[in-house]
Parts: sequence; C-alpha cells; structure tokens
Amino acid sequence: MHWLSKKRYKIGLMLPTLIVYSVFIILPIIIAIYYSFTRYSGIGKARFAGLSNYARLLKDDVFWVSLKNTLIIFVLVFVLLMVLSFLLALLLNSKIKGTGFSKALIFSPAIIAPIIVGIIWVYILDPNVGIINNILDALNLGALKHKWIGGDVLSPYSISIIYLWQQLGYLTTIFVAGLKMIPEDVLEAVKIDGASSVQTVRFVIIPMMKTTISSTAILVITGVFKIFEIVQQTTGGGPNHLSETLVTYSYATTFTSSDYGYGMSLATITFLLSLIITGVYSFLTREKEGE
Amino acid sequence: MVNKKKKTVSYIIMILVTLIVVFPLIWMLLLSFKSNAEILANPLSLPKSFNLDNYKNAFHTLNYVQLYANTFFVCVVSIIIELAITYFSSFVLSRMYFKNKKLRSLLYGFLILGLSVSPFILLFPVYKINVALHLREQLALIFPYVATSISFNTLLLTGYLKALPAEIDEAAIIDGCSLWDLMFRIILPMAKPVIATIVIFNVLYIWNEYPFASVMLRDVSDYTLSMGASFFKGTYTVDYGGIVASSVMIIIPELIFYGIFQKNIVEGMTAGAVKG
Repeated sequence: MHWLSKKRYKIGLMLPTLIVYSVFIILPIIIAIYYSFTRYSGIGKARFAGLSNYARLLKDDVFWVSLKNTLIIFVLVFVLLMVLSFLLALLLNSKIKGTGFSKALIFSPAIIAPIIVGIIWVYILDPNVGIINNILDALNLGALKHKWIGGDVLSPYSISIIYLWQQLGYLTTIFVAGLKMIPEDVLEAVKIDGASSVQTVRFVIIPMMKTTISSTAILVITGVFKIFEIVQQTTGGGPNHLSETLVTYSYATTFTSSDYGYGMSLATITFLLSLIITGVYSFLTREKEGE
Repeated sequence: MVNKKKKTVSYIIMILVTLIVVFPLIWMLLLSFKSNAEILANPLSLPKSFNLDNYKNAFHTLNYVQLYANTFFVCVVSIIIELAITYFSSFVLSRMYFKNKKLRSLLYGFLILGLSVSPFILLFPVYKINVALHLREQLALIFPYVATSISFNTLLLTGYLKALPAEIDEAAIIDGCSLWDLMFRIILPMAKPVIATIVIFNVLYIWNEYPFASVMLRDVSDYTLSMGASFFKGTYTVDYGGIVASSVMIIIPELIFYGIFQKNIVEGMTAGAVKG
C-alpha cells in the first residue's frame, strides 16, 4: 500500500469530506458562538454586545424554567430508560419463544419520525380528546383527570414518558446485543458455582457489560438534548413558556422571535451543557473502571 | 415447577410490554378512520366504518405525490454525495499508509467529533451559510444532511474497511491495479454490507428529519414529508382527522421499510453503541 499512499492522493481523497464537514459542522458552531455575543434581529448588521446575552440569560425566568424542565426530563429519562431497557433486555435474552417478534415490535417506535411520535401522543394525553382522561371519565374516576400536557406542571413528565416509549426498544436491542457478547461458558460456570440470578446480574453481567452500558448512557444523554419535535407537537412550549425545554426555547427565540443573538447564546449554553454532562459521565465511569 | 412459573411470568411481562408499546400506533390507525367531529365528541369510540374521508381531505389539502417526490430526491442526492465522499475519506483513514500515525487518529477523531454535536446549534448558522452560498430549496437541505452524516458514516466505514485483510491490497497492486481499480473494483464490492446499512440508516434519518427542514424550506412546494405532518395545525384550528391521516401516510411506508430491512436498520442504529 506504500506505493499508492502518495500524499496528493490522500489529500485529494480526504478533501471533499473535510470541506463539507468544516463548512457545515465546524464553521456553524463558530458562527453560533460569534452571534451569541451580538444583538441581531436579522435586518442590517449584527452589533457586538459583549456578554450581555449571557447576563440576560441569568435573569430570564423562561431560561430557568426551560433548564429545570430539561433537567427533569434528563433525570427521569436517564434513570427509567437505562433501568427498564436493561431489565427488558434480560427478559428478551432468555430462552423463551416469541422474543424475536416481540423485539421487532418494541423497536418500531424508534424508526418513526419524532414529529409523528409527538402527534400520536397528543391523542393519548390531550386533556380533552386524549384517551387517558376519557377513560378516567368513563370509569367515574374524574378526580384523577389531569392536564397531562398543556397544563402548568405535568408536561415535562409526560414528555419523558413519550421519549421513554420511543427509545425503550432501541436501547433494549443495544443491551441484548451486549448480553450476547458475554460468553456462554462464563454464565454456565457462574450457575454451577451456585450464584442466584440477582447475583449473576450484579457481579457478572453488569461488570462485563460496562462498555455497552457507558456508551448507551452517552447515547441517552445526547439524545435528551435533541428532544424537540415531541415538545413542539404536544405543547408547543406553552402555556406561557412553562413547558419549554432549552432546545425549544432557543429555537423559538431564534426563529419565532427573530432574536438571533440571544437565541444563539441559548443554543451555545445548551450545547455546552450536553458536552459537560457527557464529559462528567465519561470521567466518573472511567474512575470506576480503574478500581 | 419454579422454572415453569418463571417462564409464565416472563411471557406475561413480554406480551404486556409489547402491547403497551404497539397500542399507540394501532390507536392512530383506528383514529384515522374517524371524522373530525367523532374524534372531538367521542374520543373513545371505535370507527363505525372504514371512512376514508380524512385521507381524501389530506390529499386535497397537500400534494402528497410532491412530498414523496421531494423527500425521495433529497434522500437520493444526499446519500449519493455522502457515500462518495465518506468512502474516499474512510478509505484513506483505514487502508492507506500514514507515516505519521498521530495524524491519522487526529483526522479520525476530528471527523467523529460530530456525533456529539446537536443539530440545534447548527440551524441558524447553516441557514446563513446556505444564503451566502446561494443554496436554496432542496439544495439547502442536502449539504446539511450530508455533513451531519459524515461522523456516523466514518465510524461505520472505517471500522469495516479496517477489518478487511491488508493482503488484498498488496496482491492487487502486484497484479498491476491502480488505486482507482483497487478502490472501486476490489474493495467497494466487499464493503457492500456496511454500505447497505449506511444507506438504510440515512434514508430513515432524512425521512424523519424535521428541524433542518423546518428552517430551510419556505415554500410548500419544496416540503419534505416531515413538514407535511405539521401542515394541518393552523394557528387557531386543528384538523385532527387530517393530522392523523397524514401521519399514517408518513409512517406506513416507514414501517414497511422497517419490515423489509429490519436487520440492517437495527444493525446500523446499534452499531456505534455496542462497538463503543
């Protein structure tokens, strides 16, 4: 391969990818950060505004609400999704009939457009036309009726459930693939040694699946910071911005209010926050592996 | 005895979870046969007949043939471009000789970095770049789609190409193959499985993509499918029946696609995570 690995060949073949990647991924990040230090309404030129957008952010109630909602969704989704999909993977990895069919069906929400996922759940959670409240009515349990979406409190929790529904099968499949990589004879040996199933999971399976678990966790973290269509379809961030997440708020500020400078400072903070959480998680799990 | 009980419980849980996950999709399909008034007045009732009015309405309001055609066009062009360029770059990174090994891993790391970039920080800047480069209509979507696929394609392609034995190249070169022949006549056919996975994964990505489409496309005649779904929600009125019907029309092809290519889809979506 030495003969053909001429420098000009390598450069020529790398260049198209590097150009597209730089112009449409790297450059935009720089532009976004640049605009986050300006005031810009889309007309005329952007005016440099120093840190004023970031100062405004600290005093902006909607920012804190959307941060709170994002963190609620993050914690709920992270805990529920990791635990439930792991347990489901253990179940679907056992030797019973029909697991293949069940896996295929459970995975299906993951391939559906997120915007449709949002629409589907409107018909389940909507206070008026949704099934849940109507079933509660039919059962004479009207007292349990809530504004699952579009009220003051429950929206972020409902959004977590919707996201859970969409991602459950996907993560389960990843965990099943991870479980398949544990050698059969290891599990046999553990069984002969008389370990209970809980012990097997706790002391053998989880430690052996560390890499799968941590890359799945990172997938969940980055995924949560991309939840957008579900919120837009179910609540539109309302009422009164109460169900806004960081992503929907930065989108609305940028494209609905045309407050581009401020919108970009929100986008930058959101991006940094997801990087920081990913970084902290990788750091913490690396520590544990060293033990 | 205990084992049998355990098995029964496992079955029950499995069936229950499957039903819960599938139910919303079936409900959606049932709703699409109910009229708007029925949905509002009697949300729990089952459709009385296979009433296709919602679909007829949806077809009157939106030009679905064009939506499908637009989406198809964006899909084909984006995937051809991204496959071509990432095949080249991944070939260099996985099979060519680097005197400086650090440079290779630096380039690879740089291209993989995009996996952690959320599209939402890109939307407005990419819009500005498109305007500056005079990229309009569907072209405004193609380059962002190509760019956001680079990291994923690089991960899969370099991983796969690296695993092919180096002796193939040596033998081919001794037989007088040019670099071009080696890349297209020898290595490319061997990379078919991973290319299939990449194509299928990206078809789904583009089919489902909404944030970029919502920012870049102004004209209804340029809309892709995901934009069609949001079309029925006016500022004050909501055409529930129309929304459901149009959603069903978007996801039915997806589910059929999933039925056919299930193996590749699952492989593509889980590949990154399991390999780490």
